[in-house]
Amino acid sequence: MINRLSLPWPAWAAAAAFVGLLIAYPPFRVVSKSVAQNAPVADGAFEPKSFAENFWSETLLPAANEAADAAGVLTALKRNTAEALKAHAHRVGLGNAAYFFIRGTGRVSAVERSRVLLDVDGAVIALRTGPVFGNTLRDGSGLIEVNDVPGLSEFNALSAELNRLVEDRVQPALKSLTVGATVRFAGCAEAPESLPASGPLFTLVPVQAEVLP
Amino acid sequence: MPALLSRVLAALVLISGSLLFGCKRAPSDDSAASANSPASRRVAVVVSTLNNPWFVVLADAAQDRAKELGYDAVQFDSQNDPAKESQHFDNIIASGYGAILFNCTDAKGSIANVRRAKAAGIPVFCMDREIEANDAAVSQVLSDNYSGCVALGEYFVEQVGEEGKYVELLGLVADTNTWNRSKGFHSVVDRFPGLKMVAQQSAEFDRTKALEVLEAILQAHPDIDAVFCGNDAMAMGAYQALLAAGKADKVKVFGFDGADDVVRSIAEGKITATVMQFPKTMARTAAENADKYLKGERNFPQRIPVAVELVTRDNVNKFGDYGRK
Repeated sequence: MINRLSLPWPAWAAAAAFVGLLIAYPPFRVVSKSVAQNAPVADGAFEPKSFAENFWSETLLPAANEAADAAGVLTALKRNTAEALKAHAHRVGLGNAAYFFIRGTGRVSAVERSRVLLDVDGAVIALRTGPVFGNTLRDGSGLIEVNDVPGLSEFNALSAELNRLVEDRVQPALKSLTVGATVRFAGCAEAPESLPASGPLFTLVPVQAEVLP
Repeated sequence: MPALLSRVLAALVLISGSLLFGCKRAPSDDSAASANSPASRRVAVVVSTLNNPWFVVLADAAQDRAKELGYDAVQFDSQNDPAKESQHFDNIIASGYGAILFNCTDAKGSIANVRRAKAAGIPVFCMDREIEANDAAVSQVLSDNYSGCVALGEYFVEQVGEEGKYVELLGLVADTNTWNRSKGFHSVVDRFPGLKMVAQQSAEFDRTKALEVLEAILQAHPDIDAVFCGNDAMAMGAYQALLAAGKADKVKVFGFDGADDVVRSIAEGKITATVMQFPKTMARTAAENADKYLKGERNFPQRIPVAVELVTRDNVNKFGDYGRK
């Protein structure tokens, strides 16, 4: 038996090289089926309505209590728009759009069809009371981004649901406002590139609104 | 017998050697491609169509930026045909390109091409158009089409009023941008029941098709107030159809893209509004990300949104050359 295994040294060298090569460069790999298939985005797994409601109650409302002080942001905006944007606004992705997430108290100076104007320490902003469109709330909070959901379509569906929550849960308190009423608010707005020549500085989509007695 | 065993072992070595060289190692996310090898210095720019000036700008900007970064960049025109796109990927993989800057023809159908490139170790960077997978491309630089059309929808209601009849010309139905634009627009306009959409039809992002489609629609609906088009090429086609029908002064046309001819037409009062996308920003970002990847960086967000901006007669002077002046 011993004699039968006594091989010339080149054979042993070849065997060792063979084993070494197999270890260093395995000729095949075993991968799990899920990895091999690169599991596609699970269609139907994302539920915008429940996602929006969870985001609203668990993330957005708690953050609204900690949002930046509106009066301070408005003062900074009037003093130096570019500096105020740098200090208080956040941007989403690549582009010029910047958003504020603020809270404060203001006095109603005008009631219009789909908004009310609020005087906040001498600066006028608008509070949206009509239909809410777009991504101001979703993007303005800075609390969620496109990579948190499966894709752009889902991200857009989330926006629509958040807008619906504003209309259902926040705006009813603003329907019977009259000039002179005091409103405590929190919300998001697209920041202006420069101060408008006339009218409100920006329009806030409310996350919270309460008419004070 | 020892001679026989040594022959068997030698044969085994040869066989295993052939197996080793016959099998390609699966690319690992951690294995940085050699940025200095000749193959990785070549970047493919695969674009859905070059029959639309907007995509020519996108492709040229990607190619130019890749060249500035030291790569040999080549354009591939898929002519809006997924089969041609697939052939391009075959050729690119066989030629061993270092990276692909990709504008897809089909959000779902193009995923397989991206996966094949990834399996071959070629990273793919999507531009403008999304593929509906999060684990195929390295990153996707995308326009926020929905937001743009929300702003356009609000302006549409402001300009047309809360009552009227309109036509919607859709883009390619397989492209997610087509539906993101349409949904953004309808998220606003559908809130106004007095605004009636009398026809909705695809003109495939094509100027000539838009002309033909709107001509046919005008036969059945000669009394429309506005046309919402999913891109600027279709807006120009729609405007031509209206001009030929003698209705260009009465019917408002809305586009999307920010193409130079439409921006000029807005300034001249022919087209009412468009939404400026930033093809050069997207293309450059994709090329720069490819460069970073080939140099070893691996930390990229899957989707990078690029904001879009409403262009109207009031602010048209700020825009031109496919971006802000």
